[in-house]
Amino acid sequence: MAPDFRRPHHLPKVRGDLGADPAELPRQRRGKTPQMHGRYPDYDCLEHAGHWDALTRRVVLDRVEQVPELRFFTAAEAAALGAFCDVVLAQDAEPRIPVLALVDRKLAEGRLDGYQYADMPDDRETWRLVAAGLDHSARERSTDSYAASPLELQQRIMDAFAEAELSGGAWETLNVKHAWGVVMRSVLAAFYSHPWAWNEIGFGGPAYPRGYARLGIGLSEAWEGDEAFDLDPGSDL
Amino acid sequence: MRRAGKHFFKGSVFPADNDSAFLLDVHRRGVPGRERMRRHRDEDEVDLLVVGCGAGGSVLAQRLARAGWRIVVLDRGPFWDPDEDWVSDEEGAHHLYWNDKRIVGGQDPVELGKNNSGHGVGGSMVHYAGYAPRFHPSDFETRTRDGVGYDWPIAYWDLKAHYERVERELPVAGQDWPWGDPHSYPHAPHPICGAAERAWAGARAHGIEMRVGPVAITNGVFGNRPHCIYRGFCLQGCKVNAKGSPLVTHVPDAIEHGVEIRSDSMAVRVELDEASGRVAGVTYVEVGTGRERFQRAAAVAVCGYSIESPRLLLNSTSKHFPHGLANGSDQVGRYVMVQGASQVAGRFPELLRMYKAPPPEVSSEDFYETEESRGFARGFSIQTVSPLPIGWAEHVLADGHRGAALREYMRDYNHWAVLGSLCELLPLPENRVTLADEQDQFGMPVARFDYTQCENDRANIAYSKQTMHAIFETADAQDVLTIDRYAHLVGGCRMGFGPETSVVDSGHRAWGVPNLFVCDGSVMPTQGSANPALTIMALASRLAGLLARKRGSSQRGFAAGIRAGGEP
Repeated sequence: MAPDFRRPHHLPKVRGDLGADPAELPRQRRGKTPQMHGRYPDYDCLEHAGHWDALTRRVVLDRVEQVPELRFFTAAEAAALGAFCDVVLAQDAEPRIPVLALVDRKLAEGRLDGYQYADMPDDRETWRLVAAGLDHSARERSTDSYAASPLELQQRIMDAFAEAELSGGAWETLNVKHAWGVVMRSVLAAFYSHPWAWNEIGFGGPAYPRGYARLGIGLSEAWEGDEAFDLDPGSDL
Repeated sequence: MRRAGKHFFKGSVFPADNDSAFLLDVHRRGVPGRERMRRHRDEDEVDLLVVGCGAGGSVLAQRLARAGWRIVVLDRGPFWDPDEDWVSDEEGAHHLYWNDKRIVGGQDPVELGKNNSGHGVGGSMVHYAGYAPRFHPSDFETRTRDGVGYDWPIAYWDLKAHYERVERELPVAGQDWPWGDPHSYPHAPHPICGAAERAWAGARAHGIEMRVGPVAITNGVFGNRPHCIYRGFCLQGCKVNAKGSPLVTHVPDAIEHGVEIRSDSMAVRVELDEASGRVAGVTYVEVGTGRERFQRAAAVAVCGYSIESPRLLLNSTSKHFPHGLANGSDQVGRYVMVQGASQVAGRFPELLRMYKAPPPEVSSEDFYETEESRGFARGFSIQTVSPLPIGWAEHVLADGHRGAALREYMRDYNHWAVLGSLCELLPLPENRVTLADEQDQFGMPVARFDYTQCENDRANIAYSKQTMHAIFETADAQDVLTIDRYAHLVGGCRMGFGPETSVVDSGHRAWGVPNLFVCDGSVMPTQGSANPALTIMALASRLAGLLARKRGSSQRGFAAGIRAGGEP
């Protein structure tokens, strides 16, 4: 049965141990979302790029069209961190938002965030140490590297990272809790600044200079996407 | 006529003595007239050199320029043109924040950067949410009333006229305000989005009063400032010019009256003339060229906010002040405060689309004052906040969700409403800014900010979260998610009654340095539960009044007086 998103039954805390289930979601029918599932299958914010000011349009479209080559990370670091980004964002299939490439560009350009924890190195060094730490934790659990570990092990190491329960190797030079914060700050900014992610969550996008006029409960602009729960009559039936 | 009209013609009252809104261009957002801005030579002794063009510095400069002072304002960041420099995008606003390195430590380190630190002309008000509440009268005497914090050497009533004046200049829109000293606002309240309606209904059912506003966003005719378009990117810089920041509310008028704003200029030392005991000017570095320059001045006002003002003073060492200028009693950099700003989100059946409309919409000050039964001193306010996708992702992550669960809560974005608290955390001496061993690209030691909460702080934050949870429970929210965070900065160069316990006197003058002033959020001895921007502007407005009034009839009277060493 198609889910009804007025009810909260699909939310992780309500489902409890069952976790989230993207299999219930409709496939994206317009534009792209990461892994092509979303709540708004007929909404593609990029169709409205003509309504954005030119400066903003360039910045947003570049995230899709100008995926940068890796300059900052080494191949080994990129393998570990790329796998980590996929796991922590549940990007288990194409199309994927190129999160690591966007992070790499930011670090290569030295665009840091204006603060560094007293018990931590520079953010750039933190990223390298986290890559080494992930591989260390994988080897401790008898695999060759984090990237080569089975998905289930990658997830367990990721969970232990989030709970600051990793130690040994590169982790000893980091405050693991703060390292999680440093890494995730950039990972989330890269993923949720990408218009494919906006399609998935039904975000209106830049909206300048157009703005919004219909603000109340349950109201939408004519061009905003609606949640759709039904199966696609063309391909699903 | 103007006074009588105030209550009948909302949106039509124009402030006296500030033409900024008319000086802006109707069709372009950048500040006009920069090319014909007055220029001063380094060797000219200007009447006042202001360091930092934010809420404090720009109001001070604008006011005193109108009184005939020759003024230069230095700012480390660029002179923004919203059309050319800003995008309508969350991640694309990264360059609006102070991104130079700072070290954060203590038991409860505070995130800086986008959270609370501005960069460039307009300061952090360029990317503040727009909330512009006043402090309550009680905020100025928490020691006397509640036995905590510190009394200010001035009272609410010293600022009241300046609050009113700044509210007309921003202008502030909102419902009549029943809390603190009850007052009304020059512009009518803005419409609110579905998420705020939901949160408001919950609060009402729970017996908590909330009101729309107060936000510094035009709602109706106001010179050449356009109406808000409700696109929701207040925290990324207003490309519309509807939200008030000094860049549009005071800088245009300041330039028109002869102020020179020297952007991309990083002040590194305030120089003391050891013979006279007075400051002679400021050494600064041109950001583009790295060239070091020195601007002479008859007086200096440091307006760099709670991290940079102490940092500049601490770095300005001399034989007379070996531990930093005006730091004879080890007070510079101490008592820096942040507000506990936890947020609780509630999930509802309908699509609420919180990304629409400005993030600040309705707020409550029902819990602002001390209530002994709660078990802690002072209180908090509650405001709706509406994170954009990256902010919402940080919220979901903080509640402990990652991988598929994170994505699922993110897909649910449009069903959520978010309330945030602003808890008054107490001023503590060890919560302080010091200089770290590391240096920045200008050869100046970077700031280190240590922060640790006290028991009263923890109890306040916990109670505020409990209250927001209760609001959403009453509203039948289907799920809740919580994040702990901080907001705003104040303190670091506090004003007080004597040099042993404070950095500046009630007239913002540094103890022991007759021509050095500090005029920004760092002078605040306590922080209340209100967003600080309006109070910083009101303080600057008051200081300008004190300085201008005492100048006498001669246009050059103050500068002459200050050179002679007398009281201005």
